[in-house]
Order: sequence, then structure tokens, then C-alpha cells
Amino acid sequence: MSDDDLDPVIHAPARLRIVVTLSTLAPDEDLSFTRLQELIGLTAGNLITHLRKLEDAGYVTTVRSGRGVTARTGVSLTSSGRSALEHYSSVLRQLLDGATEPPG
Amino acid sequence: MNEDASAERADSAAADDTDALDPSRAAAIMAEAREKALRELRARYPLVFATWGLVLMIGYGAIWLSVLGQHPYTGPAPLSLLALTLLLAAGAVTTVIIVGRALTGIGGGPAAQRRVHYLALTAGVVGVFALEGALAHAGASNSLLGVYGAVAPMLVTGVVYTASPALWQDWSTRALGAWLVVVAASSAYAGPVGVWGLAGLLAGVGFLAAAVVRRGRDRA
Repeated sequence: MSDDDLDPVIHAPARLRIVVTLSTLAPDEDLSFTRLQELIGLTAGNLITHLRKLEDAGYVTTVRSGRGVTARTGVSLTSSGRSALEHYSSVLRQLLDGATEPPG
Repeated sequence: MNEDASAERADSAAADDTDALDPSRAAAIMAEAREKALRELRARYPLVFATWGLVLMIGYGAIWLSVLGQHPYTGPAPLSLLALTLLLAAGAVTTVIIVGRALTGIGGGPAAQRRVHYLALTAGVVGVFALEGALAHAGASNSLLGVYGAVAPMLVTGVVYTASPALWQDWSTRALGAWLVVVAASSAYAGPVGVWGLAGLLAGVGFLAAAVVRRGRDRA
């Protein structure tokens, strides 16, 4: 197993932070774009670009609601996004375990 | 326009994020992001519960000391009532700040349920105090008002904690709700003097115990 087995959509610092942050919410919950931006510490442009990549992969969904001052964009992790993160974590653990094992 | 376009290009370039990411750094990023999200998005309920435990023990204790030895019961001293009011206000402000901050930006079903839970709790407690005013206006005795004032808010809080769908899977808070109902109903039998000491002590201990249990669970 090598680094290439890690999902390239998730395997980037910013997207990894986004996916992990969203995974801490309950499955039916979402997080506003503004709060997500505050937590991740990216510019709005950067965050949009990363979210687009995750959305294209089917890992997150964004839902716009309200108008004017009440406008809100909610971002949530899809079930396939949760599964992808679980798989990513599992591969990562195997890579790290392999790296610490003494050479046989 | 040109500035906007170049800013967008810079954002896009930074957003490509194609730097090599080794597994150990990825694991560190995951751990750090998870810890930060849980710290920021999860309300510190142990602190909320501990605050209410102290509010009840000190506030009800102050009232109890001021009515101790009254025969017949005439009601608490204004200073002790002021102390309890200020403590309740401090507890409410602490709760709003801690819970409000954590829930900011979270939407969806469970978040809406939590908002309804807090609205129900607020409406219930406000209703209890309004009813107390009406009872006094209707000529209720000091003894009745003493017992009612001590246990009615506790009873409403206990019922909301026990029955709220927002807490369906939160057994420790539901157990606290059931405890508050039991404390409110049973300590009322201690009469208008004893009820303040008994209800304040037992409910306060319940909140402190819930704070300890919740803290242990959050750390697990």
C-alpha cells in the first residue's frame, strides 16, 4: 500500500480539514459557509474552490436558503463523503502502521 | 475587475493545494481539525451544568438561610431574593453565551430541535413566574407561594429535559431531568422553609453530578 491509495480528493490539507470538520456534525446537520470559513481559516475564494471539488466528487452538498440578510449557504457531508473519509482514515492508519513496523 | 480576476487566480492557485502531503502530516491535520471542530461546535455542557449546580445551591441556600426559623412563614428577605435573581440571571447569560456560540452556524434537524428545546425551556420558566404573580394577585398564602416558587421552575425544567426530542440520545441529561422532577415533587413536602434548603441542595448536586458525567463522556 502506498500514498497513491489515499483518495486524492480528500488528500489535501484544506479539503481534509473541511471533511473532518463536517464529519463532527450529526448526519442531518449542516454548517453555514461563514462558520466553516471561520473554522478552516481560508479565504472565501479558496473555500469555494475546495468545496466545488468535494461537491463534484459527491462528498459534500451545499444548500442555499433565504434572501438578503437572511441568506445562508449550508454545507454538509454526504453519506458517500462520510464513507470516503472512513476509507481514507483506514488507509492512512495502515500506511502509518506499516511505516512503524520493523523491517522483516 | 482586473484585481478581482487576479485575486481569484491567486485563490485558485492556492486552493489547488497540490503540495505533497505525507501520511503522518495528514494524520496530524485530521487530529487537529477534529479537536478544533469539537471544541468550537460542541457546547461545553459540563460548564453549563456546573454553573446551574452552584446557582441553585448558593441561591436557594441564601433564601433558606433568610427564612430559617420563621413561624409563621412570611417569605424570604429582599436581599436574598435579589441574590437569587442575580444568580439566576448569571446562569441564564452563561448558558446563552456557551450554547449560543457553539450552535452558531449549525443548521438542520437536530439543531432546530435544540433551538425548540431552549425555547420551550424559556417559555416554561417565564410561564411559571407569570403564574406565581397571578397566584399572589389571587390571594395565595406566603407558604403556598414559597413552595411554588422553589419547585415549579425545577419541575418545568425537569419535564423539558426528560421529554425533549433534542435530548433523546443524551441519557445523562434525561436522567438529570427525571432527578429534577423527583426532587421538585418530593422536596415540596418539606414545607415553605425546608423546601429551599432541600430542593437547592439535591438539585444542585444533580447538576454537578451531570457535569462530571458529561465531562467524562466528552473526553472519551
